[in-house]
Amino acid sequence: MASPSDLREKIRKKRRALQESLAKSKDDVDTQALVTTEMEMSRDRGRTEVEQELSGSQEQQVTTLKQTLKAQRMRRRRKLLSDTTAEATRGEQPMGTELSEVGEPLDSVTKPRSTWHTQRDLPPLPVETPLRRRVAEKLKAARSKAETLLQQEALSEPTSCLQSLRDRETLTRFDVETDPGLLSREAGDLSTAARVKFQDVAHRVRQKAEMETGLPTAEMAYNFFTFNFDPEPQEEPVKHQKKRKSRRRDRAEEEEEEEEEEGDSHREEEEAGAEQEEEQEEGRDEDAPLVGDQGSELFIIDQTAQDFLEVKAVDYVGYHSRVQRESEVLFTPSLRTVPASSKVPENMQPRYMEDEGLYVGERPPMSRVNQNILENRILQQDEGKKWFGDDGRVQALPDPIKQSPTRPPLFSLEGDLDPALQTVYRKALKSKHAGRYIPGAGPGEGHRHCQLDVDVAGLIFSHHPLFSREHVLGARLAQLYDQHLARQSRNLTGLLTDKLNGLRNALRNIKDLHGEQGRSMAMRQRIVEYKEEVKNTRILRNTEQEKDRTLLKSIVKVWKEMKALREFQRFTNTAYKLHLRRELVELQKDEQGFEAEIQTELAELKGEFEDEYQRKMEQYSQQHEEWRTWRRKQARKKKKKAKMRDDGEEEEEEEEEEEQEEEFLGDEPPKPELPEKQDWALAEQQVRERASRWRRRPGEPVLVPEISLSGSITPTEQCPRGEIARREDISKRSLLVKVLYNDKEVSRTDRRTLSSDFRVHFGQIFNLKIVNWPESVRLQVFEVVGSSSSLLAEVFVPLPDTTVLTGSAPFQELEFGSSQRVAFDHEGVGSDVPFSFEVDGSNKLTLLTSGKLSCCISWAVDNNDVPLAPPTSQQPWGVRSGLRQMDAIACIGASGLSDMKKLSKWAAESRLDPNDPSNAMLMQLLTVASSGSMQMPDYFRLEQLQEEFNFVTDEELQRSKRFRLLTLRSQEVAEFRNYKNIPAVEREVSEKVFQDYERRLQEGEVIDTRDHLDAHRALVAKYLQKVQESVVNRFLISKHHFILSDLVQEDEVPSIGVLGLNLFKLAEPKRPLKPQRKERKKVTAQNLSDGDIKVLVNIIRAYDIPIRKPLSSKPAMASKSARSFKEPFAAGQSSQSALQGGDWPLSQSQIRPFVEVSFQRTVCQTTTADGPNPCWNEELELPFSAPNGDYSTSSLQSMKDEVFINIFDEMVFDITEDERERGSSVHTRIERHWLGSVKIPFSTVYLQSRIDGTFKVQSPAVLLGYSKERSLASEGGYDAVRCLSEGSFITLFITIQPQLIPGESVRERFDTQEEERLLQAAEVFQRDAALCFPGRPCITTVIDINGRAVFVTRYIRALSPPQELLDAFPNSPQETMDLVARYVSLIPSLPDSVSFAGICDIWSTCDQFLTLLAGDEEEHAVLLCNYFLFMKKKAWLIIGTAVPEGPTAYVLTYEQGHYLIWDPSKGQYYGQYDTFCPLQTVGCLINADNVWFNLQPYDAPMRMSFDVTRSKLWKPFFSRAFPNPGLSSVQPEEIAYNRPDKAAAAELQDRIEKVLKEKIMEWRPRHPTRWNRYCTSTLRHFLPKLELSGGRDVGEEHRLELHNLLGDYRISGFPLHMAFSELHPLMEMVYSTGVHNVEAPSIEFALAVYVHPYPSSVLSVWVYLASLVRTR
Amino acid sequence: MKFHGPRATLRMAELHIIGQIVGASGFPHSSLFCKWGIHTGGAWRLLSGLREGQTQVDSPQTSDVAFWSHPIDLHYATKGLQGWPKLHLQVWHQDSFGRCELSGYGYCHVPSSPGHHRLRCATWRPLGSWQEQLAQSFVGGGPQLRFPDVIYSGADRYRLHTGAAGTVELELGIILRNFDKYGVES
Repeated sequence: MASPSDLREKIRKKRRALQESLAKSKDDVDTQALVTTEMEMSRDRGRTEVEQELSGSQEQQVTTLKQTLKAQRMRRRRKLLSDTTAEATRGEQPMGTELSEVGEPLDSVTKPRSTWHTQRDLPPLPVETPLRRRVAEKLKAARSKAETLLQQEALSEPTSCLQSLRDRETLTRFDVETDPGLLSREAGDLSTAARVKFQDVAHRVRQKAEMETGLPTAEMAYNFFTFNFDPEPQEEPVKHQKKRKSRRRDRAEEEEEEEEEEGDSHREEEEAGAEQEEEQEEGRDEDAPLVGDQGSELFIIDQTAQDFLEVKAVDYVGYHSRVQRESEVLFTPSLRTVPASSKVPENMQPRYMEDEGLYVGERPPMSRVNQNILENRILQQDEGKKWFGDDGRVQALPDPIKQSPTRPPLFSLEGDLDPALQTVYRKALKSKHAGRYIPGAGPGEGHRHCQLDVDVAGLIFSHHPLFSREHVLGARLAQLYDQHLARQSRNLTGLLTDKLNGLRNALRNIKDLHGEQGRSMAMRQRIVEYKEEVKNTRILRNTEQEKDRTLLKSIVKVWKEMKALREFQRFTNTAYKLHLRRELVELQKDEQGFEAEIQTELAELKGEFEDEYQRKMEQYSQQHEEWRTWRRKQARKKKKKAKMRDDGEEEEEEEEEEEQEEEFLGDEPPKPELPEKQDWALAEQQVRERASRWRRRPGEPVLVPEISLSGSITPTEQCPRGEIARREDISKRSLLVKVLYNDKEVSRTDRRTLSSDFRVHFGQIFNLKIVNWPESVRLQVFEVVGSSSSLLAEVFVPLPDTTVLTGSAPFQELEFGSSQRVAFDHEGVGSDVPFSFEVDGSNKLTLLTSGKLSCCISWAVDNNDVPLAPPTSQQPWGVRSGLRQMDAIACIGASGLSDMKKLSKWAAESRLDPNDPSNAMLMQLLTVASSGSMQMPDYFRLEQLQEEFNFVTDEELQRSKRFRLLTLRSQEVAEFRNYKNIPAVEREVSEKVFQDYERRLQEGEVIDTRDHLDAHRALVAKYLQKVQESVVNRFLISKHHFILSDLVQEDEVPSIGVLGLNLFKLAEPKRPLKPQRKERKKVTAQNLSDGDIKVLVNIIRAYDIPIRKPLSSKPAMASKSARSFKEPFAAGQSSQSALQGGDWPLSQSQIRPFVEVSFQRTVCQTTTADGPNPCWNEELELPFSAPNGDYSTSSLQSMKDEVFINIFDEMVFDITEDERERGSSVHTRIERHWLGSVKIPFSTVYLQSRIDGTFKVQSPAVLLGYSKERSLASEGGYDAVRCLSEGSFITLFITIQPQLIPGESVRERFDTQEEERLLQAAEVFQRDAALCFPGRPCITTVIDINGRAVFVTRYIRALSPPQELLDAFPNSPQETMDLVARYVSLIPSLPDSVSFAGICDIWSTCDQFLTLLAGDEEEHAVLLCNYFLFMKKKAWLIIGTAVPEGPTAYVLTYEQGHYLIWDPSKGQYYGQYDTFCPLQTVGCLINADNVWFNLQPYDAPMRMSFDVTRSKLWKPFFSRAFPNPGLSSVQPEEIAYNRPDKAAAAELQDRIEKVLKEKIMEWRPRHPTRWNRYCTSTLRHFLPKLELSGGRDVGEEHRLELHNLLGDYRISGFPLHMAFSELHPLMEMVYSTGVHNVEAPSIEFALAVYVHPYPSSVLSVWVYLASLVRTR
Repeated sequence: MKFHGPRATLRMAELHIIGQIVGASGFPHSSLFCKWGIHTGGAWRLLSGLREGQTQVDSPQTSDVAFWSHPIDLHYATKGLQGWPKLHLQVWHQDSFGRCELSGYGYCHVPSSPGHHRLRCATWRPLGSWQEQLAQSFVGGGPQLRFPDVIYSGADRYRLHTGAAGTVELELGIILRNFDKYGVES
């Protein structure tokens, strides 16, 4: 026994040493203390335990102790079962016993415990001890080993020490728990006994086993223990687990713990051991080898092995511990209800709004538990209480959830997509809440309902189709009787009689008091009023009496009729019976009263008559007086007249005259008649008669009719067949009433059969619970025959006031009627069918179905006598009732409301009671009205507050100059289009900016004749401008349609073919001397600015330029070549002898030409070449700037600038004056002489993008000092061709760099009056044409000046040219044609692209063209063609392209086997094979009948045939398949021409001359300009001749003439000719010749102008310009 | 010297709207374009600039955001605040056949504070009946507003059934001038 204690002591020492060392290393003081406590604890364990036991014994119940003990034991047992601490218990068990033994002498109190131990340990003890000791020794060795290991481990974990100390406390607690368990045995409780018993049983079992085997052998004992040790291998992990669980717990403590628990564990061990022993014994054979010879070393080794290994189980935290741990972190609100006190602020009671009568919204429903959780949670928060309201509940908004689930209605939109306009589904949309519904009467909640009770009592027919005649009479009788009853109840007669008596008494009293006349006016007035009142009342009374009597009479009459009818038809249908009750009266009294009444009435009448007479008499006397005075005047007049007339005239005549005169005067007052006195006797008679008729005679009994339904109705079988049929019909019918509330049927009554008296009783009450406001209640009466029902009538029932309640509401009788036509073949009279009571059928009656429905509508009353009516306050009828009060106003009409005068008038008339509260409103209104302070605004404003919010007024906004400028700029008004900078501040905008613009606006009206020189042209210009504007506006929108290429610049992807070709090109030989033009990139006009664009002019060569002629050469009269016979138009003369230039100061060649190109006043020139056929091959670059810097397409197209290409001859004069210097210095002057020019409009260049070709130079008819060189022999074959035509030619290439994209014309479909079929055909034709030959223009429809599409053949029609032209050359049709062409060419040309800015090509008719005097090539061509047609020529319009115009129109004529091509704008013609014909391609031919499209492979006129009959070459538009429908022409029948106005022409001529002279002087600012008058007059004289000859072939004579006159001068000059349109082109032309540039000091000028008028204001202008230099 | 005469009053309020329609995203289709317009009240006067327009069709290759970068440059003068300019948009989709169909309507007010703003304008699209929707999914097209001013007018649209479309992104720079003279603080 000592050894375990020694061991223990040793362990303790060791531990202590260890702890000391640890403590030293850590914290001296702390650990020291701890160590001592531990030491003390271990020493005084027993004592402390006892003390605690003593203290605890009183408190703790034995049972609880037992429980804890049991729990302890169970836990122990569990541990054992899972083989925990097996080793430890085994090791400690003996120690425990030793300790207890050791402890025994220490303290006597521990005895029971020891006894417990001994008692328990007793049975195995004798056998165990030696064995155990042996084992323990082995163990000790192992343990010490393990301990050292553990201690080393513990050393490595210094914190564990501290932890262990803390854990110790729990241990002591544990002691407390366990010790009472031990103590409980002291009391010798039951459980111990039970346990002992159990132990005994176990013991017995064991003993039994022992008995079997005898005494336990060593082996058995060993087995016993090995069994205990059996689960050893698992022991270490558990230990480790424990260690892991509480890592800080070290072995020593464990031991201690075990020490404490050992009692339990020991026992349980044994129990388990006993059980397992049995098992062991059963399976010993198998187990034997396990334990057998391996001996005890086995587990020592095992144990050491276990020390190195550490097997860890899955890291799992038990649920409870997790819950516990989580509970530290998490807060779980309790589910319990929070007391209200904790929710409201302290010292406050929860306040309930509902109790205070305030409205509290419905809270959303919420489960109690959730609410509790929420409240508990909120309360934990800071300021948690702010979430609670005064009532201690969580604050919440009213329930937002609708009571009933709704779903948005679905609409099918059916194509009509605009929601605002679609009305189809509106009805379905009407939601319940949209209508007016009664508040508080919703379907939800227990709110009170509103209930309307509809009581349908029954109905009575006043007429029904099935009425028999007797019924009709009966109904009438009943009706009359009802009337009678009603009258009687009202008793009007009696009332009026009383009133009359009262009035009479009052009148009598007044008379008695004040006498007959009365004192004052007022009194008299009152008397008069009384009398009047009496009279009125009397009359009223009399009529009432009359009515009473008539009614009575008719009742009797109807009754009689009825009786007669009953007699006649011999059966009775109705139960009506009339009794006349007689009330006898006293005859005497009655007579007296009757007479008195008559007397009074008579007296009154008398008085009235008297008054009337008096009044009339007064009136009469007054009128008579007037009349007499008038007569007197007349008489005086008459006398004057009579004096003048004969005296012997008769009075009658006079009177007649007088009458005449009266008529004449017309204002004679009628002669008054004397009022006659009333016939009194007659009046009395009348009164009596009336009285006898209408009043009961004296003594006559008072008749009181009484109708009863007591009569018997004849039974059906006794009736005739018709009546039987009727009655059967009645029995078949039944009636029902439907109740419709707000147009919805809510219920219907039962069917009730029609009774024979045509009364139907329903007596049903319908209770309508209503939600919506009552709007209408209708009752529909249906008549049912068999199964079919028909609507008989409909009755609208007035809605009751809310005060009308069930029970108190009276029944209403509502009349109904139906206009249905019903006819029967039986006795029934039908409805809307005439019938008669008479036998002969006269006196026909037509009655309609009608009747009375008796019903009652009222608001129901519930059990508590609360009316179920809607609240009155919110009744929307409030307004209506207000209106009802104002009904007075309504009677004047709505307009009267605003008209205060009318209202006040009405108020005065109707004598409104001002004190009546119902009139208060009206009276107030009236006072306001009468004071006149009420002023209605006489205007209406939609948004009356808009003005208030405005910053500025409209005027101010309009006035802002800056805004105006900005707007104008953005509108692209011409003046401001390219205004770059606009000032930021208003004051910086000057007024001047708008001056031009405003002037232009004003000028729209006023025509400035200064610029135009001609009134007609000014008008035309204005008209043209207007047309232009309208057209531009028309196409403004379509102009903004961009196509892709306008916006996107995209390089085409080269196809494989192109690539291949390019590859081949690489292999091609390079030909640097033959450069080829490449397509350039096109640039859109938008992103350009000044300086970007250049006009490139490539001047290559010229042919046939006139050469100089020696000044003093002899007139070469003879040299007129013979060729001129052949060619009458040849202008040049062959002056071959001119080559000997001896006259020239310097030896120069015959001509030194150079080309000057001017564009927009920029001038470029080439170098000077030599000879008449120079070759320059030079490229000139001219800058281009668009007007206003606007580079848009439209602006570029409408540019009117022209490129002038002028050919000059450069002459060099030696001006060296000092001959001595001639050797050393050269002093020359260069002069240049204009030879000719070519004009190309910029728009042409722009649209064509390049111009390439040889052009004829427009040279003047006469060029002084020059002559055409005809080098005859030298130039062989080429010359032969060239000489066929006259004039000079120049080869040019003009383009724009970079290339601009010309604007496309509008691709728009225009309005048209053409047939659709024709248009389609035209479209197809054009499309086909474009498909086959894209380059050939084809025109079928064109746009006229109104913007409508017109088929082109309509333009062709023979029109007569002016007669003057036809008469000019009567014998030569050739010359006439020439003249006509010249006339046409004199009409100025104005490209459409200029005037219409590229919008479209507009064709005007010939008369429009002649009126406008401006037009495109087409107009010229059409006119010329029409003229030719008139002249019986075969003529066509050619649509083609020409240089330089581009797409254009020419005229083709057929003359004796050959075709001539006419250029209409130049008036020239070319043969078909003319090389220099400007027409390049021919697209189609047009005449009045057809359009032919060119299908030939070539389109140059030279290489094609013009025979349109060959359909292979020309495709006609109208063919056999589609014949010409006979289109009428748009051209007029004939054109009216004005006579040429010579005077105007002369005036114009002077003005042009003056202006040009001024201009030339202006252009020569540095030099004096002298005018040679003599020369001028000569030239002027010469010009008409030129005009006559058409500018041909007059030069030579003229030159000779000049030479003779001006021999001393060197003259260079030329006549210029052009059609007159405006002054500006003239000036440009003069300027471009450069005559003014000659700067010789002695220069003189001559200028002559001639204007030749042609019909219709066509003017031909000649300007002769010459410069003269004196040679000697 | 005081200049409170007419010169002082002639400083009218002006508004510059300078920006761009950047693009659109979130539409079910790519290759979108946008028609836009600015609607103002009667008090506003356009001084310069285009008040409506249409962008190009953008077919994004990589992302589903279509970029237009369509410039907007307007200059307004106003005599009142009512009818502040609002921008309405119609996003259209061009399908593979080149047909255009509506993808969304949208509208937003032009910001009233000066400076640079990035706006995202959500769009919507009328749905139409189920037949129309079916037809739309097969043959394209789709319901459109008959009167597109419903987009910006305050009319009741409660019967219109719409589906959400994508958003259009805008960048607008706003410059106010002289608004402070009339008590409108920016």
